[in-house]
Amino acid sequence: MRSLALLLAVGCGFAQAQSTPEALGLLNKIQNATQRLSYTGTFVYQTGNRTEISRISRIADASGATEKLEVLDGVPREVVRTRDGVRCYLPASQTVKVERAGSRSQRDFPAILPDRLADLPQHYVASRGESARIAGFDCVSVLLTPRDDLRHGYVLWADANTGMLLRARTVNEKGETLEQFTFTQLQIGPVARDKVKPRHAARNWRVEDADAAPADLSEAGWTVNADLPGFRKIGEVRRRLRESLLVGQVVYSDGLAAVSVFIEPLADRRELTGRGLSNLGAINIYTREVANHLVTVVGETPAASVRRIADRVEFKRPQ
Amino acid sequence: MMTKEKISELMDGELEGSDAARTLSAVRDEGEGRQVWRTYHLIGDTLRDTRMLSQRFSERMAASLAAEPTVLAPAAGAAAAQSWRRHLMPVAAGLAAAGFVGSVAFLVPLQEPTLVPQPVAQVPQVRPTPAAVAADPVRVPLPLATDDYLLAHQGYSPRNLLQGVAPYVRTVSGQALEGRR
Repeated sequence: MRSLALLLAVGCGFAQAQSTPEALGLLNKIQNATQRLSYTGTFVYQTGNRTEISRISRIADASGATEKLEVLDGVPREVVRTRDGVRCYLPASQTVKVERAGSRSQRDFPAILPDRLADLPQHYVASRGESARIAGFDCVSVLLTPRDDLRHGYVLWADANTGMLLRARTVNEKGETLEQFTFTQLQIGPVARDKVKPRHAARNWRVEDADAAPADLSEAGWTVNADLPGFRKIGEVRRRLRESLLVGQVVYSDGLAAVSVFIEPLADRRELTGRGLSNLGAINIYTREVANHLVTVVGETPAASVRRIADRVEFKRPQ
Repeated sequence: MMTKEKISELMDGELEGSDAARTLSAVRDEGEGRQVWRTYHLIGDTLRDTRMLSQRFSERMAASLAAEPTVLAPAAGAAAAQSWRRHLMPVAAGLAAAGFVGSVAFLVPLQEPTLVPQPVAQVPQVRPTPAAVAADPVRVPLPLATDDYLLAHQGYSPRNLLQGVAPYVRTVSGQALEGRR
């Protein structure tokens, strides 16, 4: 791995000399650990004035990983991810939301980051940060500082021994924290099967299946172009949102952050939806109307980026 | 030498006139006085469970202060308020420059976790000043379908590769949207 990081650093040339091989190597190590390890623990998610505790468990074995996230504060929510996809259980409304991993674009997506690790230093400076002790683990850290104002910055702390990510902080251009994930308790090693089983049988619950299928929105007359340096298209599907809406979704990513463009017929959105910018911690959402459609851009990026993408969405009636 | 009592009295609104001016100017300078001022505010905020400042609060605050019309002939009653602002403005600007807002943003989340999530959509939004309108888009509440968008989006986020399923926690806390239905 060290040699890979070194290769990357050399390959990226003098302009990216600020990114250190150690930092890129640590990023690689975190990613490997995330794929390889089984663990169970409790983490705190903080954004704005909101703090939520969740339990998370992951079993990695030969058949692929099974993971469960259970939000313990506020409205109960449970997310179970297997290699077949994601199921989100909402007991309050007795609803299961299903995102299948069937489509080709979704199956391919785990390859994003390794591919992009070589590109990363063009848009972020990766450097080593200060060590810290988190939930009993001695952690080393990596800072990812964006080279422009189109993306957020990140600080990641990982167990020096295994590479397991213990804390992830997203920061704005002033270094202020936008959101943070921190483990308060973590046990790495074999995990009992029942820890990743959904708590609810969900019999007779309403099922909202995204039913995503690859699509080409340009055939319908849409021009969606991220036109943001470093952001490449990683997915384009037609899918359902809630129960019956057919929505186009195009996703762009720079290897660390992703931005989704949703396009849906206005007639299906009867409730009053504001046009403009809204924010949820590190996530910015920009909504505008184009040719009787609602265009909603959702991104883990600064407001300027989602707005720029939204403003470039165009419709031209196909010939 | 500035006493802690004076700063405490100032914060409680018990100081007036030259006493207040002296204390403010001491707090304005980086040093022990400023440190005490910060600490007391942090303690107060934590005790009162004050919400974190909205994003770019200090910028907008400074902008809206700058955009306020200058009163050329203040009424006698307004004089006191004006003099307060004269004293407070440099302090506010100084604190912002010193990253004070940033340190609050960092420290406040470390308070006791709230069991009931606060409605995110109802965080008061500071309206952009007329001067900023051209640059800043209109701020609107989160769309009702935000959770659906987020769930649809999350599967593509590279963050999953670093954190597993954890980023799926990024949803609007149910109550924030329930309130608007």
